[in-house]
Amino acid sequence: MTRSYFHPVAIIAANTFREIIRDRILYGIVVFALLLFGLSLALGQLSFAEQARISADFGFTGIQLSAVVLAIFVGGALVSREIEKQTVLTVLAHPVTRTQFIIGKFLGLALVIVVVMSGLTLALLALVISLGLEITRAFFTAVFGIWLEACVLMSIAMFFGSFCRPMMTVIFSMSFFLIGHWVGTLDFFVEKSRSVPFRMVAGTVARVVPDLERFNWRSAPIYAVDVPIAEVIRSIVYASGWVLALIAVTSLIFRRRDFV
Amino acid sequence: MSDALLTVQGLKKSFRRGLLSKPVDVLKGVSFEVPPGTITGFLGANGAGKTTTIKCLLGLAIPDQGEIRFFGRHELSPEVKARIGFLPERPYFYEYLTGREFLRFYGQLGGRFSASHLRDRIEKLLDRVGLKHAADRPLRSYSKGMLQRIGIAQALVYEPEFIILDEPMTGLDPDGRYEVSEIIRETAKSGTAVFFSSHLLPDAEKLCDRLVILKKGELAYQGPTVDFLGKTGGGYQLVTAKDGKVQTEDCSSLEELNRRIDERRAEKANIIEVRANRLTLEEAFVRIGMEQR
Repeated sequence: MTRSYFHPVAIIAANTFREIIRDRILYGIVVFALLLFGLSLALGQLSFAEQARISADFGFTGIQLSAVVLAIFVGGALVSREIEKQTVLTVLAHPVTRTQFIIGKFLGLALVIVVVMSGLTLALLALVISLGLEITRAFFTAVFGIWLEACVLMSIAMFFGSFCRPMMTVIFSMSFFLIGHWVGTLDFFVEKSRSVPFRMVAGTVARVVPDLERFNWRSAPIYAVDVPIAEVIRSIVYASGWVLALIAVTSLIFRRRDFV
Repeated sequence: MSDALLTVQGLKKSFRRGLLSKPVDVLKGVSFEVPPGTITGFLGANGAGKTTTIKCLLGLAIPDQGEIRFFGRHELSPEVKARIGFLPERPYFYEYLTGREFLRFYGQLGGRFSASHLRDRIEKLLDRVGLKHAADRPLRSYSKGMLQRIGIAQALVYEPEFIILDEPMTGLDPDGRYEVSEIIRETAKSGTAVFFSSHLLPDAEKLCDRLVILKKGELAYQGPTVDFLGKTGGGYQLVTAKDGKVQTEDCSSLEELNRRIDERRAEKANIIEVRANRLTLEEAFVRIGMEQR
């Protein structure tokens, strides 16, 4: 039988999916998101007119936090745990290249995030429909934006996870997440500042950190406005660029590693 | 062109323990060959460089220098890997998988077999390693011996021409060692060449046609096991009994042993036991003067 380049990638992705689905941490994350939905319902009671909007807002935050936690905590440990537990030795002794291994791990977690987000999105849909929020395409665009952000964060976490200790991986990835939502503001201050060192440092940071606000369309369904298709396409290209570049660098690092 | 399954030429590898530390030379130009159709024991004391060599062979560590060729002339590639099986030193596997899922995962990675062929192959392997009863249990519930056996099954899943086993007997009880030895014997009988590492000479002595021995990162010996044992023979002990009196005698060679057996039988003594004196690897090195190296 002849095999394509993506055959082992798909097998590793499927196994990664199974590994995470069987991990109890996943269910903790889902329960946390559902609790947030419940809290949104309770908080919504405080505002009679805005109940659906408050619930939707909290719901999107719950989905985003679940996806971010999965991307950073699970993504950061995806490769390092294989090295630490030495399971990587047996896998790489089979007909699999290190790049195929990295891509497979990435796709497996990306799929888990799709499944978790789909389940949470259905729960949120049921909640906001019952509260009378009108569902438009923007609702699904907002969820898609969260997934794009999670993919970028996952590739950042895998990049750091390929050479850092787990704790440092989480700290660096969280920093990228936080700064990533402030890149626009940082750019603004760089433009306005007269301090040359600040402009140099902040300007560099704004260039090397992905702008995660490009994927933030969560207010669109709440205020019933649409997200232009061109903007969505630009964001897909932007996210793909970051993911491909980070996966390429991660596999370069991984290819030079000795497993001792 | 060599017809060896594996040819290693001038393999060197060093590691740094920290960023500023001096590199430690683990392999200092190791060269050896593994011919087809043999069980080759890869021996050396702990720290001799066996696992590092095996990791270099399989691309898990990147050699500083040297050449590694499989099946005559091929470098390691996914196609070559599909013809090789490997069991790592400590069988750390995906513990959330069941035995059957574990074999299916590795079988599918190779993409060599159709789904039905792979299914049959997995059932045969589970039968061969005696784990059919535990096939649907997660690996986290397996004992060390069971993990070793399922690990060997995963190494055999592609029907490889050559398998590399890193310390397959370490940490096993006598039953476990016997079972693994039997699997190795049967594997070799079915035509797959076996290359296995051990730090125990008696393990290799019972199973291997050939030995490759490392000492402190250098090749100390390669060749037939009988030649090595001939040089390092530990002699024999003959235990006999006559008129209720037990006598133990040391014989330095097989000829002397046979002569003494004949003599004692002629004296109407009963032969109680004949045992070969087992040497440790270090004792064997001392006998053939390798400790000077």
